[in-house]
Amino acid sequence: MSENSPNDPPDGASPAVITRDLTKVFDAGDSEVRALDSVNVGFTRGRFAAIMGPSGSGKSTLMHCLAGLDSATSGSVRVGETEITGLGDKELTLLRRQRIGFIFQSFNLLPVLTARQNILLPAQIAGREVDQERFDHIVDVVGLRDRLDHTPAKLSGGQQQRVAVARALLSSPDVTFADEPTGNLDSRSGAEVLDFLRDSAREMGQTIVMVTHDPVAAAYADRVVFLRDGRLVDELYEPSAESVLDRIGKLEV
Amino acid sequence: MLRVTLANLRAHSGRMVTTALAIVLGVMFVTGTLVFSDTLDDALGAQVKGSAEEYSAIVHTERTTEEKQPELPRQTLDDIESLPEVGSAAGVVHGDAPLIGQEGQAVGSMSTAGLSASEDTRHSTMAEGELPTGPDEAALATSSADVTGFGVGDEVTVLDAEGREHTFTVTGLLDLGVDPELSYRGAVAFTEDTAHAMTGIDGYSEIDVTGAPGYTDSEVRDAVAEVTPGDAEVLTGAELGARLAESAGAETELITTGLMLAGAVSVIVAGIVISNTFAILLAQRQREMALLRCVGAGRGQVLRGVLFEAGLVGLVSSAVGVLAGIGVGYTGVVLGADALGVGDSAASLVVGPAAIAVGLVAGTGATVVAALVPAVRAARIPPLAALRDSAAQGAERGTSTVRVVLGAVLGLASAGIATWAVRSLEDEPALIAVVAAGVVAFAGVVALGPLLVRALVAVARGPMRELGVVSGLAADNSGRSPKRAATAMIALTVGATLITGYSVISDSAEETLTNKLDEQFPVDYEISGQMSPHGFMAEVDPEVSRELAENPDVARVVRVRSSGAELEGPSVSAYFGGEVGTEVSAPVASGDLADLEPGSVVVHEDDAEGNEAGDEIAVETAEGEETFEIAAVTEGNTGLLGVTMDPDDFREHFPDVTQDQSVSIQGTEDVPADELRDTVMAAVADHPRLQVTSAVQMRQEFTEILDTLLLVVTAMLALSVLIAVAGVANTMALSVLERARESAMLRALGLTRGQVRRMLGVEAVVLSLIGTGVGIALGVVFGWAAGVALLDGLILSIPVPRIAGFLTAAVLAGLLASVLPGRRAARTSITRSLASE
Repeated sequence: MSENSPNDPPDGASPAVITRDLTKVFDAGDSEVRALDSVNVGFTRGRFAAIMGPSGSGKSTLMHCLAGLDSATSGSVRVGETEITGLGDKELTLLRRQRIGFIFQSFNLLPVLTARQNILLPAQIAGREVDQERFDHIVDVVGLRDRLDHTPAKLSGGQQQRVAVARALLSSPDVTFADEPTGNLDSRSGAEVLDFLRDSAREMGQTIVMVTHDPVAAAYADRVVFLRDGRLVDELYEPSAESVLDRIGKLEV
Repeated sequence: MLRVTLANLRAHSGRMVTTALAIVLGVMFVTGTLVFSDTLDDALGAQVKGSAEEYSAIVHTERTTEEKQPELPRQTLDDIESLPEVGSAAGVVHGDAPLIGQEGQAVGSMSTAGLSASEDTRHSTMAEGELPTGPDEAALATSSADVTGFGVGDEVTVLDAEGREHTFTVTGLLDLGVDPELSYRGAVAFTEDTAHAMTGIDGYSEIDVTGAPGYTDSEVRDAVAEVTPGDAEVLTGAELGARLAESAGAETELITTGLMLAGAVSVIVAGIVISNTFAILLAQRQREMALLRCVGAGRGQVLRGVLFEAGLVGLVSSAVGVLAGIGVGYTGVVLGADALGVGDSAASLVVGPAAIAVGLVAGTGATVVAALVPAVRAARIPPLAALRDSAAQGAERGTSTVRVVLGAVLGLASAGIATWAVRSLEDEPALIAVVAAGVVAFAGVVALGPLLVRALVAVARGPMRELGVVSGLAADNSGRSPKRAATAMIALTVGATLITGYSVISDSAEETLTNKLDEQFPVDYEISGQMSPHGFMAEVDPEVSRELAENPDVARVVRVRSSGAELEGPSVSAYFGGEVGTEVSAPVASGDLADLEPGSVVVHEDDAEGNEAGDEIAVETAEGEETFEIAAVTEGNTGLLGVTMDPDDFREHFPDVTQDQSVSIQGTEDVPADELRDTVMAAVADHPRLQVTSAVQMRQEFTEILDTLLLVVTAMLALSVLIAVAGVANTMALSVLERARESAMLRALGLTRGQVRRMLGVEAVVLSLIGTGVGIALGVVFGWAAGVALLDGLILSIPVPRIAGFLTAAVLAGLLASVLPGRRAARTSITRSLASE
C-alpha cells in the first residue's frame, strides 16, 4: 500500500514516539524469526493510535520496543527527543518510570495494594510528588471515587482496568502503551475503558498507543496502523469498525 | 503415575535443590556424628586395649572413695615372679609426686601423680624421648607438659612425700592415653626405686604380668590369682582392655549424645523446610494434579505419586548426606584427635552399618513424613480445579479462631508448666518440665504462626512504607502468604530459641556466680592446700596468714577452718578474722547472719533438717553431739555451706583443728595489683604445695569454660539455622516464580533491577527477623526459666550484645537467602513474563 511515513503530520505536530528502520530478529534455535522488519512509524502527540495485525504480525514486539521493554536488533526508536536504542537497562528503567505509562490486558495490579495505592505506585517508585488535583480529576473521570480503598480482588474486571488506566495516566506520561486493554473485559466494560482512553487523548492531550486485534476497539482510535509479518502494511485515519474490518479483509487476501 | 512422578522430578529438579540441601545437611550431621563417635570409640578403645592386651595378667587394686589405695606388697611381686607360668612381672608404684610449676608453686588443685614406669609396665608409651633410667631422671605425662610448659631436657622440681624438693631431668613425655584420673592430675614417672622413694609408697598398685611360653593367658591369670592377696583383682590383659575400652566409650558418650541432639534438631528443622517446600510446590502444581484427576487418576494414586516423589528425593539426598557425613565425621576425628586424647594413634575410619542406616532412614523418613500433609492436601484437589482459573494466589483463609484458641490454650499450658517447674521443682525434673513447657509454647507459636506473621508485618508495614516504595512493597509481600511465611519462620525459630535460651542460661550463670563471688566473698586472693586424690587436703601453715596479716598492703585476712571428713554429718566451718554477715555472706532463707555468736550456728538449708532460724539443732563435733540455736539458714550453691560456727565455739569443739583450710586475702584499696600479687607470692614461697588463686583468675577460668561451652553449643545448633536459611531462600525462590508477572509489571512501571533485588532482600530480612525475634523471645523466657530451675537465686542476665549479634546475623541470613531468588527475579525478561499468562 502506501509508503511508510515516518512522520505522520496531518497537523504538523511533533511525534511522541518515532521509529526508523526498526528491526527485531528473534533467534528461534536454528532459524531466525523477523518479528519486525524495517518498521518506520511515528505516533503524534495527543493522539490515540491503534496497532493492528493478525497473531504473529509483530504488533506486541513493536510495542515492547517502543516502550523500552525490549531492545531492537537494528534501527532506532526515539521517545520525544531521546534516542532509546542503545540505552542500558538503568536508563531504560528511568525512561519508563518518568515518561511512559502502561495498561495491560490482564490489568496487572498488585493484589496486596488497594486501588489508591496501585494508582499511586508509579509516582512512588519514581519518588514524584502527586498532583492531588489531577489525582482527584482522574479518579472522578474513571469513576473510582468510592472504590479507592478496595483491593483488586474486590473489584470487577472493568474496575480493575480503570484502576490500571488511572495508574497509567496519573503522571501524564509522554506516551501510554495499552496492550489489548479490553481483551479480558466484557463489551460494556471494554467500551467504558476505551472511552476513557479516547477522552484522555482528546481532553487531556495524552498520547496513547494501543495494540489490539479487535476492530471495534480500534475504531475508538484516531488512527490505525496495520502490521503483517513484521512490516507496516497500511494505515487508516478516523477509522470505523467497518472500515477497519474492510482493511483487515483486504490484508488477509 | 510413576512416569509422571519421574517426569515431574526431572522438570522441577531446580526447585528441589533446597529441599535436597536441607536433607543432605541434616543427614550429614547425623551420620557424621555416628561415624565420628564410632571412630573415636574405636580409636580410644584400640589405644587403651593395646596398652593392656600385651600382658597375660594384670593384678590391680581398686580404690574406694574414702580409703587410700591398698597396696600390693613387694612380696606379692616376688611370689608372682617365681611362678612357673610367669615369664616376667613388673610392679607399678602409684602415689603423689607434686610437680612444681614455672611459678614455683605445685601444679594443679590436685597434686600430680607419681608413677613408676619401665619397659615392662603398662604405661610405657612415649610421645617423645625416652623412659627414665637413672635416679635423676623423670618422664612427664603429656598433660603435665602441656600445663607447665616443660619439655624434654628441662629440669623439673618434684616434692617427695615429706615435702622436700628434688630435681630431675626430663627424659621424655609419656602418653597416658585416656585414663581420666591421670589426664586430670598429670603424672611424673620415675624408675621404680625412685618412685618408691618419692611417693613414700613401698608396695604397688598394679602388677603387670607376662606369661611364660606355653601357658594361656587364663592359666597365667589363675596361677597369679592364687598368690595375690584377697583385695586385689586379677584379670587377663584382654579382660582389662575390654573394661577400659568400655569406660573410654562412656567418656565419649556425652559428646555423642550432645551431637545427636543437635543432629535431631537439624533433621526436625529440615523436615519443616521440606514440608513447606512440598506445600508450595504442590500448590503451584494444583492444576496439574487436578488434570491428573480429570484423566482418571484416583486420589490414592495422586497421594502415592507425591509420597513416592518425596521418598525418592529423600533417599537420593540422604545417600549424598551419608557420604558427606562420613567425610565430616572423619574430618572431625582427625581435627579433634588431639583435644579428645586420641593423640597420634592413627584413627582408622569406622563406618558402621548403623551410621549408614540411621542416616538413610532418618533422611528419607523425615522427607516422606514432611510431605505427608501436603500430599494429602494435593490428593483432595477436585478434578474441576483443572478447568478453573489458577487459584488466587495468597488468598489464604485460615480458620483463625481455631488457631487463636489453640495458641491461647497451649500458651497458658506452657506458662502453667513453667511456673510449676520454677516454683515447686528442683534440678533435673525442673529442667525437664521447663523443656516440656518450651515445647508446648513452641507448639503454640506454630498454631499462632500465620496470625503472628500477619500481626508483626502489619506493625512493621507503617514504618516500612515511610522508608520508601521498595520496603513498603517488601512489607506487603512478606505478609502475603502468612502460612508459608510462618513455616519458614518457625524453622528459623527452632535454632534461634535454642541458641538464645542457652546464651541466657550461660550469661545468667556467669553473672550470678561472679556477682556472688564479689558480694559474698570480696577477696583478691585465696590460698589453699593442694588436694590429694584420697580427699586429704594439705593445710595452710598459720605462719603464712600471720605474715600476710602483718603486711601493710593487706587489708584483711580471713582464715577458714573446717572439721575434717571423718565426722558424720555436715562439715563444720568457722571464719577467723572475718565477720559473718558482713565480710562473709550468703543468701539467707531465714534469720540474720549477723546474729551468729557463741552458742549459735548458721546452717545451710540442705543440712537444717527442716529447722528455721530460732530453732535448735544438734551438731556433730569432735567432742560429741552438741545442741545449738540456729541464727540463720542459708541457701544457694555458693556462700556458706554446711554448718558455720563462731570461731570461739569452733576452737572449743574442735581443739585438734589448728591449721587453716584456706585463707582469703583482700588488699588495701590503694595497693597496685602487681604489688599485692608479689606480696602474696612471697608469703607462699616457702610452701610450694600451696595454691594461690586470684579472684580475677577464678572469674576468668569460669568465664572461659562457659564461653567455650556456649561456642560449642552454638556451633552445633548453627547447622539447623543454616538449614532454616535455606528454607527461607526456598520460600522466596518459589514466591518469585509465582510473582514473575508482578515483578515484570513493576519493572515495566520503572522499578530498577536493583530495586527488585532490594525488595526481595527486605522481604527475606523481614521474614528472618520475625523468625529470629520470636526465637529470641522464647529463648529468653525459657532460658531464664531453665536457669532458675537449675540455679537458686539466679540473676537474670540477658546477653544484649550477643542478641544484637543474633539479630545482625538474621539480617545477613535474610540477605543471603534472597541473593539467588533476587538475581532470578531481576534477570527475568519483562516481555516474556508479561506475555505468559
